[in-house]
Amino acid sequence: MIKCEDLHKVYPIGKGSGYQALRGVNLHIRAGEFTAITGPSGCGKSTLLNIIGFLDNPSSGKYYFGERDVTAFDDGKRSGLRLRGIGFVFQSFNLLPRFSALDNVKLPMLYAGMDKEPAGKLAAELLARVGLAGKESNSPVKLSGGERQRVGLARALANRPRLLLADEPTGNLDSGSGAGIMDLLLELNKEGLTIVMVTHDQGLAKRVSRVIRMKDGLVEN
Amino acid sequence: MRVYESLRTGTLEIFNNKLRSFLSFLSISVGVISILYSITLIYSIRTRTQKALEVAGPGRIVVKMKDRWNSSSDMEKKQARESLTLEDALALESRYPELFMTSPMLRKWIQFRVGNFSEWQSVLGVDPQWRKRGWIYKMRGRFLNQFDIDTRARVCVIIIEGGWLKKPKWLKFYDNKDRFQEFVKHEDMLGKTIMLSGNLYTVVGVLYEPPREKNPKAFLQVESWSPKILAPITTVQRFLSGYDESEGGIDQINLDTGRESTINAYKARVEKFLAARHGGRLNFLEIKDYRDIIKDKLADKQRDMYTVLIIGAIAILAGGIGIMNVTLATIYSRIKEIGIRRAIGATRGAIMAQFVIEAMLLGFFGGVAGIMVGLGGIQYLASKGNEDMIMLQWWMPFVSVLAAVATGFLASLYPAYQASKLDPVEALRYE
Repeated sequence: MIKCEDLHKVYPIGKGSGYQALRGVNLHIRAGEFTAITGPSGCGKSTLLNIIGFLDNPSSGKYYFGERDVTAFDDGKRSGLRLRGIGFVFQSFNLLPRFSALDNVKLPMLYAGMDKEPAGKLAAELLARVGLAGKESNSPVKLSGGERQRVGLARALANRPRLLLADEPTGNLDSGSGAGIMDLLLELNKEGLTIVMVTHDQGLAKRVSRVIRMKDGLVEN
Repeated sequence: MRVYESLRTGTLEIFNNKLRSFLSFLSISVGVISILYSITLIYSIRTRTQKALEVAGPGRIVVKMKDRWNSSSDMEKKQARESLTLEDALALESRYPELFMTSPMLRKWIQFRVGNFSEWQSVLGVDPQWRKRGWIYKMRGRFLNQFDIDTRARVCVIIIEGGWLKKPKWLKFYDNKDRFQEFVKHEDMLGKTIMLSGNLYTVVGVLYEPPREKNPKAFLQVESWSPKILAPITTVQRFLSGYDESEGGIDQINLDTGRESTINAYKARVEKFLAARHGGRLNFLEIKDYRDIIKDKLADKQRDMYTVLIIGAIAILAGGIGIMNVTLATIYSRIKEIGIRRAIGATRGAIMAQFVIEAMLLGFFGGVAGIMVGLGGIQYLASKGNEDMIMLQWWMPFVSVLAAVATGFLASLYPAYQASKLDPVEALRYE
């Protein structure tokens, strides 16, 4: 489903050669896999996830998403892939504070052009799916950390993505809430969703089907 | 659909930042008020000029004695003996029979008397052609005819003013009643015999003017103080003794070529023709295109209009800068949100549209506020008798609000473009 060939990412610093975040990553993720990417801080995990999630462009190398070479896609096409092809779950949830939980989940569907009413209905279903039935109209500010992450997860699932990307999804949560989120992710994976998760937590990494270790911008074997 | 969502977010933002929004409303409102005012003024001036021209005739030329007593050069004062004559008018008419109207006029200042009532009034000597243009009256009886002219008949026609539909308040304080008008309004003058300068005249007709607000002549003030008694010009010249400025001739000849396109040609012809009749000297006369006279009269109003328009433009510009500032501030305070929206799939266009729509909403609300204040002000001015503000049309508020919305649109384009160009990864990391 995902194939990366010799991905490089250089962040320019001043006039010098810049900082090499990725130095030739080769990666192949099959559909249905639950992959955890681990490694020390600054090893390039998040950069890789951003590139996989079309938030960032590689400096060089090839990226295939579902057989298609998407390396040279323009912003519009990449936005479209972010919208319909993948879902993002962030460490710090990244919910819009002035919107209700339901509106947060609805937002990607509205961007995808869905009408207001069916979007609302679907969003409510998704919130029920992550165990937040009855809290649709709450502002994220009034939800606990675990609940916020559940809203984030529901939002990531809004447009039925083929791939779910999670950047330290339990990093800001206590162990109980974190375990709950992890259970949900595993459940989703069982239903066929491909998941790539970046994590520090070795305990979480042990529960998934595949672990990729990174160091200094390279994938270790 | 996305527009609906952006509208909702925009409204939320406006309410969440009340002071910020209020400040930009304020300047936009001022702009909208002055735009509304100047549109009304422009419209009023245009339509009323048009009406006045329609009434006056499309090809009007005025041949007029110069105001010699105020002239500074000795040369012109010496010309005082030369004057425009009734014969000039008749000669013009027979030389150019194709002219739609050749109407000579002579004005004399006399004493009007009926029984115990007496009042100084001016009488205008005219011939039947006078009624060909500028006929805005309802008539009882008859108008002066050629027979009256030929026989120098002692007849006259009296004009009764139309008054006001709604009298301006300032007039209620300063108006000293026109005794003559009061008199002729309350007596039925038709068929009566009256005294003009000690001679007996018969009133053969009464003309009723429309109300001031609907009187195109009153608007331009070109003929607003014109005499209210008309008599055959031949009679006035020969028999009516009174004060006049014509040196034994006549004051003015009104010509109408019938078409606007022929004005210049006939102006030149008439000039040559009259010069030939007066030994080549013409500097005692003015030959004017009526449209120029109107333009002179309108110059003041136009200056007024431009001043207001410029103030309006400046206010709108300030409003636009305000909106731009607010949009920039909004964007800086919502960088994270932009990142989130981009991450879940919003395109650059969607981000840009969101901020542009928000700014247009600001413009809209500011515009509506301005319209409410502006309409109130215009109502007030209209009630005070401002003749231009009566001309407010239903579409003017819409145009003004549209201008405000357009300002919001234009002012937000650049900031919104900047927002759309933010790097999603950077924006997400921003705290």
